[in-house]
Amino acid sequence: MKFIIVGAGEVGFHIASRLSKEDKDVVVVDNNPENLRRIAENIDVQTIHGSGSSPTVLEEAGIKDTSIFLAVTNSDETNLVSCMFANILSPATTKLVRLRNEEYVNYIERYAKDLLRIKMVINPEVEVVKTIDRLMTIPGAVDIGEFADGRVKLIGIRVDEDCPVKGIKLFEFKTKFCVDGILVAAIVREESLIIPSGSDQIIPGDIVYFVAEEKRLPDALKCFGKHMQPIRRVLIVGGGNVGFRLASLLEERSVHTKLIEKDRDRCNFLAEHLNNVIILQGDGSDQELLQEENIQDMDVVITLTGDEETNILTSLLAKRMGAMKTVTRINKLSYFPIMDAIGIEHVVSPRLSAINTILQHIRRGKILSAISIKGEEAEVLEAVALETSDIVGAPLKKIRFPKGVLVVAILRDKEVIIPTGDSVIHPNDHFIIFSTRESITEVEKALMVKLEYF
Amino acid sequence: MRLRSTLYMVGILIIFLGLTMIWPLMFGLFYQDRSVWPLLRSMGITLGSGALLTVLFKKWKVNIISHREGMAIVALGWAAAGFFGAFPFYLSNTFDTFGDALFESVSGFTTTGASVLSNIEDVPRGILFWRSLTHWLGGMGIIVLSLAVLPFLGVGGMQLYKAEVPGPTPDKLKPRIKDTAAVLWKVYLLLSVSEMVLLMFGGMDLFEALCHTFGTMATGGFSTRSGSIADYKSGYVDTVIMIFMFLAGINFALHYQCLKGKPFALWRDPEFRFFSGTLILFILLVTLNIYGSVYSRFLDALHFGAFQLVSIITTTGYVTADYEKWPSLAQNILVLCMFLGASTGSTGGGMKCMRLMLLLKHSYRELFRLIHPHAVTQIKLGGRPVQHDVMESIWGFFILYLGLFILSSFLLVAMGVDGVTSFAAVAATIGNIGPGLGMVGPMENYALLPVAAKWLLIFCMLLGRLEIYTVIILLVPEFWRK
Repeated sequence: MKFIIVGAGEVGFHIASRLSKEDKDVVVVDNNPENLRRIAENIDVQTIHGSGSSPTVLEEAGIKDTSIFLAVTNSDETNLVSCMFANILSPATTKLVRLRNEEYVNYIERYAKDLLRIKMVINPEVEVVKTIDRLMTIPGAVDIGEFADGRVKLIGIRVDEDCPVKGIKLFEFKTKFCVDGILVAAIVREESLIIPSGSDQIIPGDIVYFVAEEKRLPDALKCFGKHMQPIRRVLIVGGGNVGFRLASLLEERSVHTKLIEKDRDRCNFLAEHLNNVIILQGDGSDQELLQEENIQDMDVVITLTGDEETNILTSLLAKRMGAMKTVTRINKLSYFPIMDAIGIEHVVSPRLSAINTILQHIRRGKILSAISIKGEEAEVLEAVALETSDIVGAPLKKIRFPKGVLVVAILRDKEVIIPTGDSVIHPNDHFIIFSTRESITEVEKALMVKLEYF
Repeated sequence: MRLRSTLYMVGILIIFLGLTMIWPLMFGLFYQDRSVWPLLRSMGITLGSGALLTVLFKKWKVNIISHREGMAIVALGWAAAGFFGAFPFYLSNTFDTFGDALFESVSGFTTTGASVLSNIEDVPRGILFWRSLTHWLGGMGIIVLSLAVLPFLGVGGMQLYKAEVPGPTPDKLKPRIKDTAAVLWKVYLLLSVSEMVLLMFGGMDLFEALCHTFGTMATGGFSTRSGSIADYKSGYVDTVIMIFMFLAGINFALHYQCLKGKPFALWRDPEFRFFSGTLILFILLVTLNIYGSVYSRFLDALHFGAFQLVSIITTTGYVTADYEKWPSLAQNILVLCMFLGASTGSTGGGMKCMRLMLLLKHSYRELFRLIHPHAVTQIKLGGRPVQHDVMESIWGFFILYLGLFILSSFLLVAMGVDGVTSFAAVAATIGNIGPGLGMVGPMENYALLPVAAKWLLIFCMLLGRLEIYTVIILLVPEFWRK
């Protein structure tokens, strides 16, 4: 399985690194030798120096026998042109393209998607707004993934000292709380991932990943001592593209929203386009301004300026001044691990969101979507069970899975089943499977090998 | 720098090396000679030591190798290969001292071909086979071979690959390092098999054909006869070996392109043009120089001139003529070739054509800028600009190479070796060639040098094979600082 990635920036780098760890053949094309060197020194991929929009370079990269082509440079135009040539040279290749310009996105979606055979357009700004939206709605969650059009959710939640589940063993979970339909898939403890068995204990400081059906979510959250509360008041700091998009979304939902933006002209623009959002001109880290606007009553404060240091400080300030919850935008992915230590609870990054979306769409065959958790150590996949597959027709406990693999949900028609050892997967069921990184290739194979390649 | 993880990886390489001793053992068993028992014992020692290292340091097994660790693993791995490779020679009493056995083994692995062995015909065939096999293993690289066959090395493979194949432009032929290594070895294997078959047509038996193939393809130079290739007195054998020495001196990436059906890649490659152009020019000069003065027939002059030149420029070191009796111009050209060496990505040593070519271009650019002070120029190779840091690293390499060469020849002179011999011995070992001039000339060997001189030359061979940086870095205190 061969991939060509055009663009060796942050997005290209992370996708390449992920794919290479899964034993895929990856060729990265970029015209910045510095970026290429960073990739060549850290990841086992082939690098080609040249413009991704040049057909000669694409041929040199071997576009003809490539299964998936990703155009993820910072320039929309380069991405589009390279997709065009890729399409001319090799129509059979699946193409994913990163685009930011709204106009391009709309027209491509409407007219050119079939023409260029683009499977997916990824707009990092749209993706990050989706991520923020998910994070806002579920209290306490540090990580959220959605499957089956949102009917099943994978939620990572931090267990603190006053959490009712602390100290219990997993097999007691059901009896103690009388809730069905929750399955703990993984625990992240001290930076490492544990695939738990029934006798594992939950201790404070853990991040527990569980799968639950959407309608049972409030009950599930109750177990962890969290209550679903509707979001009523939101403060956004930074009125760039992402801030504007988010504000429009919240406006549609009639959430009471305030937006702070430094630049007066931009404020005018925002005021022109938004009707119910209160636009405030000022500095997000200005304490008086925050006080004036009743920061202590805010359900969520979201900092989205282009400067990540400002975002971090503003979020910390807001939290200190009494905001319920903060979401912080960060660009450098290397900052992520330390965010927890300095007390920033929710971090989002357009790039990371784009990476995750892309990864969801490049799994092969009948895998519908995939979400990675704990950085890159594990992945959750939604797949269709095929008649010929080994996992069909026998109780789960009889099936031999690779190490670190767990079926966490079965979706049959409208029904969501959280499986036990006796559950049986029927043909054409959708199911959600959890896998550590080491086993992903094996899982992919187990789901596909005998069936169909594309 | 995690020393214990490094030692774990070195342990794996040692085990791997131990397993390769099966081949000479099979020859030993076939010929029923004295080599069986020493080979078995060496294999036991090697496998045992490797297993001990891996068991001791298993806990520190890591998945990601840093740049520094990569260098340390490769340098230590090569030192270990030389060390354990010496046991078959030592235990079979081929040499009296372990130092001599080590010299022979390192000379084998680094594809130098400098020998301290006097009566080759007396040595059992199993041992001789091992001697030639070290060439073949070292030619394409022990690490590259391990990368191709040991899948678990693949994770930190890039760092190891770069430390062993440090040329100015490390070409990756396939997206994954494992596949790249496998492709290189397949090309190597294919060329080797072709040569072996051709040599067998020339009347060699399997054993001799294999040993000489190893010596040629790895640009090594060990033979199974005291008289080396000249002993066969066959124009056919000379020609086959000459052609394959030339092929081994070309970048293997180009061979791969050709085999994939793009023969023009060869001609389009600037390094290949430089390499073959220089070679043809030198052959003409040498032939004209020795025609009349040494050989009365023009064809003889061409035949011997071409063979010696190809052999020296590709750093193989097979000789069929005593070039010390040649006129000075021809000798000087040969010395120049010792420094020039073969192409990058080939099995040959020396400074490599690519480096010299770029240095010349760079020097010319400086002149050009003196004439046109405002000119903006770039050094280009095959139409692509060469990055500035690549140039810097080449200059650094050049200075270190010459510096170490001068230092080592001074040390040799200080040990009481005469001037010409010292100069040539260092040039021939650091360039992985083999025969030099004077006491180490084409008809002599290294046996009579003082012990200290041999140890110094062992070090020079390793320096040359790993292209200076990977070895010398281990001697820099900064490298070990936490």
